[in-house]
Amino acid sequence: MTGPVKAFRILTEGIAAAMMAAIFCTFILQIVVRYAVGSEWFVATFGNTIDASYFGWTVEFILVLWLWTIFWGNAFVVQDRDHVTFDILYNGASRQVRTVFAILGAVIIVVALWSSIGPTYDRMKLLRIKSSATLPIKMLPIYSIYFVFLGAVGLRYLWRAVETVRHGADRELHVLPVEEAVHQEDKA
Amino acid sequence: MSVELAIMVGSLFFLAGIGVPIAYAIIVASMAYMVAAGSSIGLVGKTLVDGIYQSFLLLAVPLFIVAANIMNAGSISDRLLTFCVATVGRFKGGLGHVNVMASLIFSGMSGSAVADAAGIGKIIIDMMRKDGRFPAGYAAAITAASATIGPIIPPSIPMVLYALISNASIGALFLGGILPGLLMGGVLMAMNWWISHRRGFATEEPVALRDLPRVTGRAFPALLMPAILLYGIYGGVTTPTEAAAVAAAYALLLSVFFYRSLKLRTLYDILVESARSSAAVGIVIGGALILNYIVASENIPSALAAYLVDVNVSPIVFLLAVNVLILALGCLLDATTIILVIVPLFIPTCNLLGIDLVHFGVVIVVNCMIGLITPPYGILLFVINAVTGISLREIISEILPFLLVLVGALLAMIFFPSIVLFLPRLLGYEG
Repeated sequence: MTGPVKAFRILTEGIAAAMMAAIFCTFILQIVVRYAVGSEWFVATFGNTIDASYFGWTVEFILVLWLWTIFWGNAFVVQDRDHVTFDILYNGASRQVRTVFAILGAVIIVVALWSSIGPTYDRMKLLRIKSSATLPIKMLPIYSIYFVFLGAVGLRYLWRAVETVRHGADRELHVLPVEEAVHQEDKA
Repeated sequence: MSVELAIMVGSLFFLAGIGVPIAYAIIVASMAYMVAAGSSIGLVGKTLVDGIYQSFLLLAVPLFIVAANIMNAGSISDRLLTFCVATVGRFKGGLGHVNVMASLIFSGMSGSAVADAAGIGKIIIDMMRKDGRFPAGYAAAITAASATIGPIIPPSIPMVLYALISNASIGALFLGGILPGLLMGGVLMAMNWWISHRRGFATEEPVALRDLPRVTGRAFPALLMPAILLYGIYGGVTTPTEAAAVAAAYALLLSVFFYRSLKLRTLYDILVESARSSAAVGIVIGGALILNYIVASENIPSALAAYLVDVNVSPIVFLLAVNVLILALGCLLDATTIILVIVPLFIPTCNLLGIDLVHFGVVIVVNCMIGLITPPYGILLFVINAVTGISLREIISEILPFLLVLVGALLAMIFFPSIVLFLPRLLGYEG
């Protein structure tokens, strides 16, 4: 793997991990606030400086992170083998047929996702003026991750189509580990 | 069926068939539907993002994934195995029983059958094969069969998904899974005992009784997880989603402070891995939300319900028919897809026929888990084949007896709803 590619992977994975950690911590904060803030012990220790109503944002914040984890993750972190795939026909096919399947599938995904960017924006542009219920932000920036997803997944499948055209479909990720070892022996 | 819908189903089958990931196949097929129906394809993205943004319950999924990964990474599985060997290793077919019991206990933490088979399953298969005690195929088969118990005993990701599409109470579903999970463990152990007698499989050296308290003490905190979870939900302390966060926090505390087995670097890897699997599951869920939106706007579930009521289907015939269908689909599709896409079609019929949704849900989840080990497309068989190198043919030739007793247990749950509903009713579920 080349330097910039590796750095990009480390960065995107780091962001995904940070979002997971933030979801987890916000949940814990939410539970702690519900039971601790306002209790006699808490008021006696800290006085009335902190009010539980300051924490109304936690639920929506978690939802934003979850939304971003899904689309960020699928754009940059999820690999082909992580996806739920119906691969009986694909794995049963000959190499030529697999190559055709892979290219066809990739091209369809690219065309569909990229051609939906404009119409999706038309549907979502009203969200520019709609405010989030509890967060100090409009809805469009929250939903914007979907466009990153459309762009990045399109790019990935474009790249995959090009790779498959050049090398055929024998280096597919669907191949089981044992078979992969055999392929490497062939090369050696 | 309208033309638009036929186009959608056709393109979905075509895309999934040529190996496009299910989630993307659904998104693209829904776009085809929108084009055919003369709507904007932008509606697909809007429905997808709105759907995810509004389903708070789903947040339990990434949190249970984090909890399971933490449990798998620490030395918790070793301690549980020592505990199981000490308690059931002494009976005929020793390690086979250990295998089932480990699944029963471990399922109280992971909620994912694949995590169960790949983590603790691999360790136990190696133990079973050592010195030729058990044939490799048999070890793999019983591991796969017992891993199906994982998502039946709470916590359970498939049950969260079912709760999402049916609006059944997640707490009642979790409680309802406990007895069926124990029943499945019981029939698998019985089958193992019988086969071990006939084929003369090994028995472990009994562990001295005076060692038992020590072994139990070391495993005990991990054994508490399901209890904490159910208390959180039923005691009204936390919402079901928050309970998942508590489960993850508890797993983390155990690994860091009690078992001292978790490094910072490992924790980072766990978070990346959890984000990866959560995102992969999340996008399928999002796809299913679009699909359900389309199917509902075509009025298919209620038309089906009206038809079935019209032709006077009795509830039990309906239940059996749905189960046969799902067992058949389980040979080809994965459990997430079945629960999110196929099962919603039947919910209105259940309501009309007076079938309890918690009973239906648990039966369906058990059925889908059996689907994980039915050849040719049984994901657990593939996972075990990939992590141990035992050939699929060997595994499949040994799995049939276990498959039969599990289907038997499923039938018992269909005909005797109290197996599922006894515990929820005991704790105040009105159904």
